[in-house]
This record gives sequence, C-alpha cells and structure tokens, in this order.
Amino acid sequence: MDVIQISDLRGRPRAPRPEEVNLNFSEKAVRELEQLLNHYPDKKSAILPCLWIAQREYGGYLPSEAIAEVALRLDRSYAEIEGVATFYTMYHVGHPTGKHLIEVCTCLSCHLCGAYRLADHIKSKLGIDWGETTPDGMFTIEEVECLDACDRAPVLQISDQYYGPVDDKTVDAILEKLKSETSPSTVRLADEIVQAQLHKRDQEKVSGN
Amino acid sequence: MPETRLLLKHSGDAAYRSIQGYMDKGGYAGLKKALSMDRQAVIDEIKASGLRGRGGAGFPTWIKWNGIEKEKTKPHYILCNADEGEPGTFKDKELMENTPHLMIEGMIIAGWATQGDVGYVYIRGEFVDCARAVKKAIDEAYEAGFLGKNIQGTGWNFDMYVHLGAGSYECGEESALMSSLMGERGMPRLKFPHAPLPTVAGLWDCPTVINNVETYACAPYILVNGGEWYATLGASTKNSRGTKIFSVSGHVNRPGNYEIEFGTTLAELLEMAGGMKGGTLKACVPGGSSVPILNAEQTMNAVIGYEEMVDAGSMVGSGGCMFLNEHTCIVTFIWRTALFYARESCGKCTPCREGTAWMEQILDRIRKGGGRMEDIELLKEICSQIDGRSFCGLGDAAAWPVAGALKVFPEEFEYFIRHGHSIVDGPEYRRMAPEPLTPAKV
Repeated sequence: MDVIQISDLRGRPRAPRPEEVNLNFSEKAVRELEQLLNHYPDKKSAILPCLWIAQREYGGYLPSEAIAEVALRLDRSYAEIEGVATFYTMYHVGHPTGKHLIEVCTCLSCHLCGAYRLADHIKSKLGIDWGETTPDGMFTIEEVECLDACDRAPVLQISDQYYGPVDDKTVDAILEKLKSETSPSTVRLADEIVQAQLHKRDQEKVSGN
Repeated sequence: MPETRLLLKHSGDAAYRSIQGYMDKGGYAGLKKALSMDRQAVIDEIKASGLRGRGGAGFPTWIKWNGIEKEKTKPHYILCNADEGEPGTFKDKELMENTPHLMIEGMIIAGWATQGDVGYVYIRGEFVDCARAVKKAIDEAYEAGFLGKNIQGTGWNFDMYVHLGAGSYECGEESALMSSLMGERGMPRLKFPHAPLPTVAGLWDCPTVINNVETYACAPYILVNGGEWYATLGASTKNSRGTKIFSVSGHVNRPGNYEIEFGTTLAELLEMAGGMKGGTLKACVPGGSSVPILNAEQTMNAVIGYEEMVDAGSMVGSGGCMFLNEHTCIVTFIWRTALFYARESCGKCTPCREGTAWMEQILDRIRKGGGRMEDIELLKEICSQIDGRSFCGLGDAAAWPVAGALKVFPEEFEYFIRHGHSIVDGPEYRRMAPEPLTPAKV
C-alpha cells in the first residue's frame, strides 16, 4: 500500500482561485459538454463525463488546471472535483502517463492463466516496473483488477482495445506496432468514451449540422 | 441438461446487433405487446415468470417494479446496472456487445410498467465496445420510434442515455452506482430500513428501478411468451425460474458464456465448457469471486439454483464460474482474491477498509512463507468481524471467499504455514504464482 509522506504534501500546489483559471477546452469540447448537460437534471451529474472531456483536452491526464476548469464550468468547488476524480482509477490525476498505457489484468482468471509471468515479460522487455513510464515517454504499465474478459485470459487493455489471450510473442508484436503510433492512445480512449455518451443528434449539434 | 440458449440464441449473428436484424427475429414484439397492455398487467406477467435479479442478490424483479408509486408525483428513472466488475463474470459484456436491443427493449418495458421518464445505462469505463454498441442501438431505437416522444402513439415519452464509469468495482453496488451517476465518489449510501428503498428515493431522490443487464434482457421474452411459459424453465428447482448465463473461465478447454436452465448441474456446465484443462478438477468458484469456493466433490454434486447452490455450500452470485485444476495453490488464489477486495474497497466503512487490507497482508505473509499457525484463527476472526458489519455487501463479499476456503481447504493453509511453501508444486504452479516464489519442496 502506498504511504503518503508529509514531504509529498508540502510540494503540492494550492488549488487555483476561480480568477486564476485558464479555460482551455476547445470549442468542440464546450459544445459536447453542453449536450451532455442535457442528459441530467443537474450540473453535478455531469462531473464524470466532463472529467473525461478534460482528460482528452489536457492530453490524457488531469493536471490541477484541468480539475480547476471542470470545477469552474460545472459550478462546483475544486476540492469536490478533485475528490471525485481521485476515486476512479481511469482518471490520471496530477501525473501524465506514457503515450500508451498498458493495463495488465492479474485478477483471478488471468492469474490462473499465467498473467504474472506475462507481466514479468512485459516489465523486463520495457525495463520498467508497475506504475512506471519508459524514459522515452512511450509506455506506462499498470496492474489492473478484473477487466471482465476472463474467457480471453490473460488479457490486457490498451486504450479502447482488449487483447487476449496474449502470450509473450503476441505482446511483443503489439508493443512493436504501438511504437510506430505516435499519437497518444490514452487521448483516444478518453475521446471514445466521450463519443459513446453522445447520441447521434447530440453529435450532429456538436459538429454544427 | 444441455445448454438452453434464450438470451444468447442469436448472439453469434452479427445482423442481430442492428435494429433491422433484431426485428426480423421478432424483436420489439414484447414491447409492442406491453404497450397494448395495462401497466399493472405487465408487472403481473413478470411476477408470474418468477424472474429474480441476475446481478448477484437474486431479488424478485417484480417487487422492485411494483414498488414504484402508481400515482406519479416525481420523475421516475429506469437504471441499468452495466457496471460488471465481478472477477470471473463477463456475461453482460457479451449481452451488450451482441444483443444490445434485447436489454434496451427490456428497459423500455420496465419504463412503461412503472411510468418511467428517463433510462440510464451505467456502463463501466473499460467497456468501450459495449458502450459503442449500446449507443448505436439507442440511436436506432429513437429512429424507429421506440424511444423519444409519443412512443408508438401511446402518448408516453421515454429517453435513454449511456453513462460511463471510470474504473471502480464498488460502483456495481446499487447505491454506489447511483452516487456515481450523480457525480460523486462511488460510495454506497444508507439502506433500507435506515433509508428509503431506491424505488421510493433513488436517483435524485426520485423513484428508481435498478436492475442488471441480464434481468432486463429477460423481460422481452417474458412478455412475448408469457410469464407462465417462462416459469416452466427451471421448474425442477425450488424457487429459481428461467435461464441463467454462466461465464466459465479458468482451467477449462472452452471458456465462454453458457446459458443454462436452472436445475442443470455444475458438472454438466463443466462438460459444456469442454472439461478441465491441464489437470483434474480441484476446486470451483461458481458465482464470481465473492462466493465461497467448492472442492471437487461438492462441485460434482452441485445443482444450479439460488437455494440449491446455498445447500451445496456456495451461491449463484453473478454467474462467474471459475474452475481450478489440481496445480492451483488455493492459498495463492485466495490471497489474490483478498488483494482484489483490499484494492477495491471504497474506504467508507472501517470493517471493510481495514479488514480487507489486514486479510491481504496476513495471506501475503503466508504466501511468502512467513505464516504463523495462529494466522488461521486470526483470519477467521477478521472474517467474522467484517461479515454483516460492513456498510454494503462488498464487505460481506470480501469475507466469504476467505472464510469459505479456510473451511473447505484447511489442510492447504496449515501445510503452507508449517512448511513455508505450497502443497502443490511444478511448472504449472510456478507459471501462476507471482514473484517472489516460495522455496520449492525439498
């Protein structure tokens, strides 16, 4: 279990005041948020979808500026948004990940099918441990709990794609293919999640047709 | 009994994912029939079918639907729990990807029966493929006039939205799911009798029906063929009716989803999945990680049914059935289960937050060869302190597998502690167990 040291908290930036917040959402993002707000009776319920938009707009993670912008746009406090964002494992609060986030499931069925040996292989191949990023900023590897694709164990998730069952060879091929992809797949995941929540008519309004 | 494919009958047919293909196979006939019926008659039909919730708890579905106020004073919400997170379960994933209209039709039927206004499908964030399939199906249903304003000329309006989570097992718990949908941390809320039921005050304090994907997917069949017909399925069991999808994984030759009639045996289910792979059967976790583990003898004698499974020593749960072969170390497996709950505990209540972490640490100590004999009693003590004392069912679910394994496989734990290594060894065991491996047998 991670222990938070007092020294870690000392360097923590203070929450920006509303007048200090820069609004960085693109026009498209603002229109998407407008449509999503129509889905709920109150603004607060749009926090999760709005955090997904922010994660896309801020390049695959949520720096404190992103939290502040979400708070301002939804009329909530910085602390509330930060509190919500840190609860969920798919939001990366504070620290960017590599361009490609490799999430290896080691939960029960995957464990039975050798996920730990597979993870050892990926870790030694990339030269990093759980939660670390390669020096070139390409890959981050994370251990995740059940992805619910146990029939394909051992399984891993990269962006919006599941891969399974995978062995050392197929993982090598996947990593090789990802090396040539320079656009961050973490951003693509956030975008896919936002698009999946917008109806066809919402999307038409966003694109202005 | 062989497999009885009802919900999964057309899941291999790609055309069934589109509304045209779905309607060609008789889709939306259940909804049309429901719309021609009285609202109460629809609920009575569900009551006659004996349908029980497929998410894990097995609560009678009609009671939830019937609990919604009949004299409408507030908006009514229909919520679908598609936050499938139970290790070993992947049935909702297949239902949403391959038969999204089935679930949507079921939700609209529930909406009609309870005077619903808006439906939300809460899908876990990882399931992007499911979300895309469900969203496409919702768009098609709007175009066909099954959603939106004045549905099929009845004057009734019903909207439906997809909402994605962001990675949390706890959000599969119904009150935590509602918290999450309302933009909060996914933590559970006070429950009945300390707080009103969701049917009285759920989402935004309005009456809310919440069911699992599979439960909603059953509704169209019940409406088309009648509740009495549905109740003939699984009639050999005490009080379980219809079919249930079991997600079979682990050491089997053909892992996948198998839909069976209640009354089928676990042995038959194992046979459907192609039998054991890599060794003989040692144990089985029949209903997802939360349920107590069964040994080989119990497994071979177990009949699938809500009450029958309890008699066998476990539960139907969500239907995530994992078969373990002889090379599996039960201590390591249970440690991994405990690790899952320690990581996924939301932290709201002390018994679960502290208890799951302590159980994981003790099991980790045993797994690394440093266990003490008194650890077994200590684990039992912690389990009894969590079970029934936590804020939501997740705490109970964390205690059952550990307590169950200590009861069914005590010799494995004692051996591990006494010798500092597992009772099993060999390349298969070494492929499964994480580093650091305990010293091999001498």
